[in-house]
Amino acid sequence: MATTTTKTETLVGKRIRRREDPRLITGTATYVDDIQLPGMNHACIVRSPHAAARIKGIDAKAALELPGVVAVFTGADTKDVGPVPCGASLPGLRVPHHYILAIDRVYFVGHPVAVVVASDRYIARDAADLIEVDYEPLPAVADPEKALAPGAPAVHPEWPDNIAFTYQQKGGDTDEAFKNAEVIVKERIVSQRLIPAAMEGRGVVADWKSGDKALTIWTSTQIPHLVRTLVALMLGVPEHHLRIIAPEVGGGFGSKLNVYAEEALMGFIAMRLAKPVKWIESRRENFTCTIHGRGHVDYLELAAKRDGTILGMKMKLIQDLGSYHQLLTPAIPTLSVLMMPGLYKFQNIHAEIVGVFTNCVPTDAYRGAGRPEATHVIERMVDILAAELKMDPAELRLLNFVDNESFPFATATGLTYDSGDYAAPLKKALDIVEYHHLREQQKEARAAGRLFGIGMSTYGEICAMGPSPATPAGGWESATVKIEPTGTVTVMTGVSPHGQGEETTFAQIAADELGVPIDDIVVQHGDTAIVQYGIGTFGSRATAVGGTALYFALQDLKKKIKLFGAMLLQSEDVTFADGVCTCNKSGKTVTLQQIAGASYRAMTLPTNTEPGMVATRFWEPPNFTFPFGAHIAVTEVDRETGDIEIKRYVAVDDCGNIINPLIVAGQIHGGVAQGLGQALFERAVYDDDGQLVSGEFMDYAVPRAHMMPWIETEHTITPSPVNPLGVKGVGEAGTIGASPAIVNSVVDALSPLGVRHIDMPMIPETIWNLIRKGAHA
Amino acid sequence: MKIAGTHSLPVPQQRAYEVLQDPVILARCMPGCDRLEKVGEDSYEMKMKMLIASISGLFDGKVRIADKTPFTSFRLIVEGTGKIGFLKGDGLLTLTPNEGGTEVRFDGDVHVGGTIASVGQRLMDTTSKMMIKRFFDKLASEVSS
Amino acid sequence: MITHNFDYKRPATLQEALGLLSDGSSKVLAGGMSLIPLMKLRLAAPECLVDIGRIADLNYIREENGAIHLGATVTHYQLENSPLLRSKCPLLSETAAHIGDPMVRNRGTLGGSVAHADPASDYPASLLALEADVVIAGASGDRTVTFADFIVETFTTVLEPGEIVREIVVPVEHSSAGYCYEKVVQPASGFAIVGIALRIRKEAGRIAEAHIGVTGLASKAFRAVAAEQALMNGSADPAAAKNAGALIADGVDANSDLYASPEYRNHLARIHGARAIAIALSRAQ
Repeated sequence: MATTTTKTETLVGKRIRRREDPRLITGTATYVDDIQLPGMNHACIVRSPHAAARIKGIDAKAALELPGVVAVFTGADTKDVGPVPCGASLPGLRVPHHYILAIDRVYFVGHPVAVVVASDRYIARDAADLIEVDYEPLPAVADPEKALAPGAPAVHPEWPDNIAFTYQQKGGDTDEAFKNAEVIVKERIVSQRLIPAAMEGRGVVADWKSGDKALTIWTSTQIPHLVRTLVALMLGVPEHHLRIIAPEVGGGFGSKLNVYAEEALMGFIAMRLAKPVKWIESRRENFTCTIHGRGHVDYLELAAKRDGTILGMKMKLIQDLGSYHQLLTPAIPTLSVLMMPGLYKFQNIHAEIVGVFTNCVPTDAYRGAGRPEATHVIERMVDILAAELKMDPAELRLLNFVDNESFPFATATGLTYDSGDYAAPLKKALDIVEYHHLREQQKEARAAGRLFGIGMSTYGEICAMGPSPATPAGGWESATVKIEPTGTVTVMTGVSPHGQGEETTFAQIAADELGVPIDDIVVQHGDTAIVQYGIGTFGSRATAVGGTALYFALQDLKKKIKLFGAMLLQSEDVTFADGVCTCNKSGKTVTLQQIAGASYRAMTLPTNTEPGMVATRFWEPPNFTFPFGAHIAVTEVDRETGDIEIKRYVAVDDCGNIINPLIVAGQIHGGVAQGLGQALFERAVYDDDGQLVSGEFMDYAVPRAHMMPWIETEHTITPSPVNPLGVKGVGEAGTIGASPAIVNSVVDALSPLGVRHIDMPMIPETIWNLIRKGAHA
Repeated sequence: MKIAGTHSLPVPQQRAYEVLQDPVILARCMPGCDRLEKVGEDSYEMKMKMLIASISGLFDGKVRIADKTPFTSFRLIVEGTGKIGFLKGDGLLTLTPNEGGTEVRFDGDVHVGGTIASVGQRLMDTTSKMMIKRFFDKLASEVSS
Repeated sequence: MITHNFDYKRPATLQEALGLLSDGSSKVLAGGMSLIPLMKLRLAAPECLVDIGRIADLNYIREENGAIHLGATVTHYQLENSPLLRSKCPLLSETAAHIGDPMVRNRGTLGGSVAHADPASDYPASLLALEADVVIAGASGDRTVTFADFIVETFTTVLEPGEIVREIVVPVEHSSAGYCYEKVVQPASGFAIVGIALRIRKEAGRIAEAHIGVTGLASKAFRAVAAEQALMNGSADPAAAKNAGALIADGVDANSDLYASPEYRNHLARIHGARAIAIALSRAQ
């Protein structure tokens, strides 16, 4: 059984292949849909085809007569469950009561109205078609600006203005800044609604053991512990009788950072019928009923001196909330406001958010969650200012960056940027593309009538969510490290990886600290009955907060290892390194395995020391971290068709210290793909009646491999002082950097035609229309 | 979705106006119409089976005729609901004499919901046009025979 | 995404398949690339599927009497990679290579695609340009129709209930002919916003033959007759390409979707038409 050997190679910083991948690519991972329980029923949800309607009646008779159908539940049965929680609090926030099944009115296409439970999923699906719902359609509104117009249909009749909240944030003296301005640029910028489209949709299995009064719910989530607390409250089940398991989770991008009606609904059904039940979301449901992202219309003004010094910024942010608040819906735009100054040192800001109800599925966190919107607008505005001042956009940025001496830097929005050298990634990226040469090339191309663009974005983001007072549910994270009696190591983390690779990176950290081979370490997560309470995976927080908790637990354990080592070596003067405790005088050694065995056998114990070899830490971060970087996109636009070709894409990111460069590169690649998707193709389109017309992959274009440019990734490294690992976070960086870099590049390409701004997605027809207009201007 | 177009009928304007409101003829010409039953003045209930290639769907519908200005224009309102979605078309038909026959222009709005709305976007325009063309082609052949 | 209940039958021979289809309640399943998604969305609900995928004598690519015969169940991948087609009817290989993605090309079939008659599918452009024939098998024997007659409208062909597409026949191309399939891809579906297929033959520097098929643009694929006529007997130069390309969308009532309005589609047809003509001319000897 002795698998423990010593190692001397350091793993942190190495390109180690993900240990998760073999099971994923050989089809041997266990997702929610792989859970099979004896006697399990299957649920199918009947959903509204209308964006707004009154429910006049529901007739389930025919469905109940279908052999194999066990039960049908409607809002009347489940009205005491819930509501679906909103975790965000803002002054004066209007929170509609979010029943898990509609009561007498539906508010969006896909609104759950009834649920059929049957002995197999096929019968359940057939029965769903037999349920007759009598709807009286009502006028709907799907566009947030139209929803604000006088006389617009009221999404919730009790609030005819459709305003869920307004929120102001001020820093410095914006009036003064705009009075002193020599130039003011204004623009309306849209960050369109997007569909997160995780590869695995949602799914829930619930199992009620009536004898134990214990409910177990398997759900595809990013936050198992928070789901446990909140679903316990929704169902009235004592929290200690509820176990949540997030098995393999096939991606989330924020769409599973939530508590959904279906999680409580399956719990309700399992308890009511005393049998396990499974619900697996279809792709159509994923598009219409799982949260969407973005959905901003922003009105911006930037004030500056003629020399390029930015003085201040005003923003009116109209957030399309959809029909309800999901877990963090109203909080997302507040993150945009926090990050609106970007990497720049100006100290005068005024932002106003108007949160608007629409007859659409709620928006919520989607990769970047508020920061891509913020970065997109500031980086677009800086380019618009550069064009206005006829300044080079790189120079304008370098002039306005926070100076290196100013860290920690207090922003006008109340944040403290931890560390940075904002010019470094930009300069590196400019060097890589040979910027001056590239501009010369551009002159030649333009002289030849070609539309050749160079665009950059320099982004800052707020990561490692975060200090608890600044978060809705606590921002700390937990870790337990156990060295088992045979010397193998179990790490239990409160984060909930669903593609980020912490089974590898956390093992790298533990292997280095304990001096054991990576194969001797297993990283467990996602089961509330096994892992101590944790917060979960989102906001690029797992390594910076969860990794740090792990680091401190490992330090505690190393102290204990040395106590046992000293006892076994009968010496006070011992060193622990590479998995071995050595007496510095005699040179005698004991292995970690021997030490672990002795700690459990406990024949003798060091003074004031308990048996066993386990340490748990809950770590509260003193601050967020603030990664940054510079992306450059070189594009050429086909003058005849409006097609955009990305000729070159360079991403220089600074995420602090890097645990695993391979995983970091993967995060950048995936992030850029999603930013590129937003820039070029993706948009959730609701028609005026509130029908989601981009309701399938046939009409919603996520980027495919062949649409991606070659991504040249590079880094600068500015360690974060916030945590001992010096890490900042990288999960969302690519997405945040990509959309403004690509849009700035295409605007630059079209600038000879007088184009100053283009809204996303920049589909070829949009570009073609701009070219036609420009050619006639 | 806005939809507009022009079709010709080889009959004089008054006759065209009448056949376009004749339930027996409408029932024969509306693509997929299984049954059309009068339930009131200018108001009908309909069963429709939509069949396009492999796609099939049953719809319960209503047809209403309004804003009649003999023999130059009227509004035709068609609603249908089925398991694969619902549709509502509201169009103004304008008739003008044209070389011995009648030119029928329609200007309308089609609202589609449910599965057909969210997965058929790419084909909505093409298929709506095709259905309307089928209707007028059939109507033209009915009235000329 | 669960279908209605249906029966599934897998005949070993074409005769057996025709027998199974005779009652009219069954639908032919070939690659299933269009039918199965429609069934999962419950937009299609056939009572029974007759899977012709294992009928050995429907899968062939062979040259006979100066023509190439393509069995209904040859996959897009087979067409893309067939040495015979690549040398003797390269337009069809090039077209097959533009369909969907590798998974679709590995499963989807020529017969299935033409029988489904999606107005934005790729083959119709090439099959019109090639003046292909379709051999239809029915209970009372085979009948042959031109591909131009085969397609009636959007999703509508001359296939009667109980009939199966048996094979497609395309001509052996003259080795000096130029060809091109140019496609603008809808980024979500992968279908053609517009697809233009061309065959051109030059004689003594002049264009002796021009066939242009266009898909995706209108409610059904069509021959761009005006453009063909503009090319015929003209000189084989870039100006000719441009002039003829400009005629490709003449009089077309173009489709629209989230990615391309009718006006833009027509524009794309003209631009890509000219490009396709230029490529085909450069390939013609």
